[in-house]
Amino acid sequence: MKQFRFHAAASVVLAAAMALAGCSGGGGTEPAKSGGEPAGNASGGQGGGQQVTLSMHSWRVEDTEGYKQIIKAFEADNPNIKIEFKPFKATEYNTILNTALQSDSGPDILQLRPYAPGVSLAEAGYLEPLDGVAGISSFPKDVLAAATGKDGKVYGVPLSLNSTQFYYNKKIFEENGLKEPKSWDELIATSKALKEKGIVPISFGAKEGWLLSLSHGVIAPASYNSDYLDKLQKGESDLKSPEFLGSVQRMQELIPYFPENYVGLELNDMRTLFATGKAAMFINGSFELEGIKKLNPDLQLDFFPMPTDDGKAVITTWVDGSYAVNSKSKHKQEATKFMEFMATKKFGELFANQFKRISAVPGVTTDDPLVNKMAELSQSSSTPYLMVVHFAEGKPTTKQTLENALQGMYLGKMSPEQVVDEVQKSAATWYPPFKK
Amino acid sequence: MGVISTFERPTIRPKGRARWLIHLFPIPALIVYGLFVVYPIISAFLYSLYDWDGIKRGVFVGLKNFVTLFTVEPFNEMFWNAFGHNVYYFIIEMIVQNGIAFGLAFLIYRKIRGSSFLKIAYFMPRLLSVIVIGFLWKLILNPNYGALNTLLTKIGLEEWAKPWLGDPDTALLAIILINCWFGIGFAMLIFLAGLQSIPEELIEAARLDGARGISLLWKIILPLCMPSITIMTIFTFIQAFEAFELVYAMQGSMGEPFRSTDTLAVYFYRLAFSSAGGAGDVSVGLGSALAVVLFFIVASVSALSLYLMRKREVQH
Repeated sequence: MKQFRFHAAASVVLAAAMALAGCSGGGGTEPAKSGGEPAGNASGGQGGGQQVTLSMHSWRVEDTEGYKQIIKAFEADNPNIKIEFKPFKATEYNTILNTALQSDSGPDILQLRPYAPGVSLAEAGYLEPLDGVAGISSFPKDVLAAATGKDGKVYGVPLSLNSTQFYYNKKIFEENGLKEPKSWDELIATSKALKEKGIVPISFGAKEGWLLSLSHGVIAPASYNSDYLDKLQKGESDLKSPEFLGSVQRMQELIPYFPENYVGLELNDMRTLFATGKAAMFINGSFELEGIKKLNPDLQLDFFPMPTDDGKAVITTWVDGSYAVNSKSKHKQEATKFMEFMATKKFGELFANQFKRISAVPGVTTDDPLVNKMAELSQSSSTPYLMVVHFAEGKPTTKQTLENALQGMYLGKMSPEQVVDEVQKSAATWYPPFKK
Repeated sequence: MGVISTFERPTIRPKGRARWLIHLFPIPALIVYGLFVVYPIISAFLYSLYDWDGIKRGVFVGLKNFVTLFTVEPFNEMFWNAFGHNVYYFIIEMIVQNGIAFGLAFLIYRKIRGSSFLKIAYFMPRLLSVIVIGFLWKLILNPNYGALNTLLTKIGLEEWAKPWLGDPDTALLAIILINCWFGIGFAMLIFLAGLQSIPEELIEAARLDGARGISLLWKIILPLCMPSITIMTIFTFIQAFEAFELVYAMQGSMGEPFRSTDTLAVYFYRLAFSSAGGAGDVSVGLGSALAVVLFFIVASVSALSLYLMRKREVQH
């Protein structure tokens, strides 16, 4: 019995130890300072025809085939450079990349998360500034902002833009004599008419938080006055303002037009409801286009930009990601060549046609009219996805705070006033304009 | 539990000079253990004492991360919220999983008809991966086309149908019950082993003394089963406090909806390795601090309950 007792005690301690063992993912070493040696030294000399293989990390596993095509086009022009594309699962990408960068085994070229999370890598000294890369200056400033450090230097070539909007089923709209709404009241009237016909007006679910802030990003700009965003960034207004509170109240106003049991629905359920014609509208991003079409190729799909209270129609956009060069890469020169390629229109067109996404390179068109419409609108009448572009910081991030609070509101545990209180409280802990 | 007496042990001890060699044999295992268990524990403990700027280690801050974890909003709120869920997890698992498992073990021990088939059947869920189970049950519990709500509607209990995983009142309980369903086979085997190790003579003697039915179970069998009950309680405790996979598979790392399914391990994951979609708030220092706290909770409570419950065990 004694022996069993000892073993039991030992196994308890060991099992408990496993909890701790799981958590030492992040390394501990400080990154070495970047830019120690001139770039020319690092690469094995140019023009010698020496074969160089660059590694490239991305979080788009589903794009592997498409990237192969694009890389082939690059390799044809640059025969001495080979690129090895290596994607990782999106949710694990950050951890894998961070660990690799810390242990100096990072890739030469890496896909960079947009805004604060990506920029933090530049601030830690892991990225090479790319201001000198040809073609960088052709990008609009607010697009470059996604990869611009606090020092004003650009650390990434923007890849694509995302936009979010109301998708709608043209067939259902036509059958019921409905048109694209031109104001908030029209949107409500349209939803009411659909509901009376027994059609779910808006395919919506509250189970996944990120979709709540995404939907808020589409609906909210309607209630912002034209100077609200400026005032917010100057610290003259805050997130408890009537504009922001109004946006949250509108999220609540839409509840009657959501499907049954919407608090338990996930993205898959929402997409299915919309693609099978059970629901007429669906708030989601440009990245959902492929998924919806795959589910039902015959769907008569269109989208409308959000009508605002001051009579405009806006589309919510943000930069989805950029590509950057590792400051400790041994082949910086070759990697920079690829960056130059990524800033060309040729790349933009390859990318847009391959993935049916909006290229960040200005003036690129595709063979998909909906993508072209999104690209046009995001040039002419876009509004930033506030939570991603400006409020993705804090611990937990202000964006996550909003998601959790909106979930609380849909579950009847919080009022819109409490939601904006929480969000403002979170932003006040870090957002520089609020700290003045 | 059989007692192995020394004279039964075969002598494989090397004689003479080769004797010291025996001490070298554990070394490979110790190296692996040291590298993958001891080293990470020590480093996690050290990480918790530093300030972290994203993934970059900053200055030494002593116990500041621990203070933050327990005094600063919303970290303290999230901690106690998750802690409460872990306690709830443990209580429900003890009652439902271990209670039913003991009953099943007792039936099989009494050799009811088809007991060897039942033994395998109850153990079956354990053979599936937790991720598979998570997705399977997500389909069953889907609010609008899931099997459970369809069944409830068909038999006229429409008002009972709810968005099980989307409603904060039912989400956590649903996950715990699925975990019970998953764990029942293992618990049953442990209890069965305990029951089968009770010497037949003891039960016979009790019978002769007039113990029957409930009193036989309560006064004789249960006390003699204490070793397996102890070990199962501690396993359940550790499992409940490290609950992660199923919650993550079904509800993601945000403890959705509205943090109603958050557990300490999920909260730790969120702190230490960013969140859904990759973008977010990595805080290695706070995450490590939480892991250290979790380690001390699990280790100390397990050790204490081991000590207390051993006292109640009867030797045979």
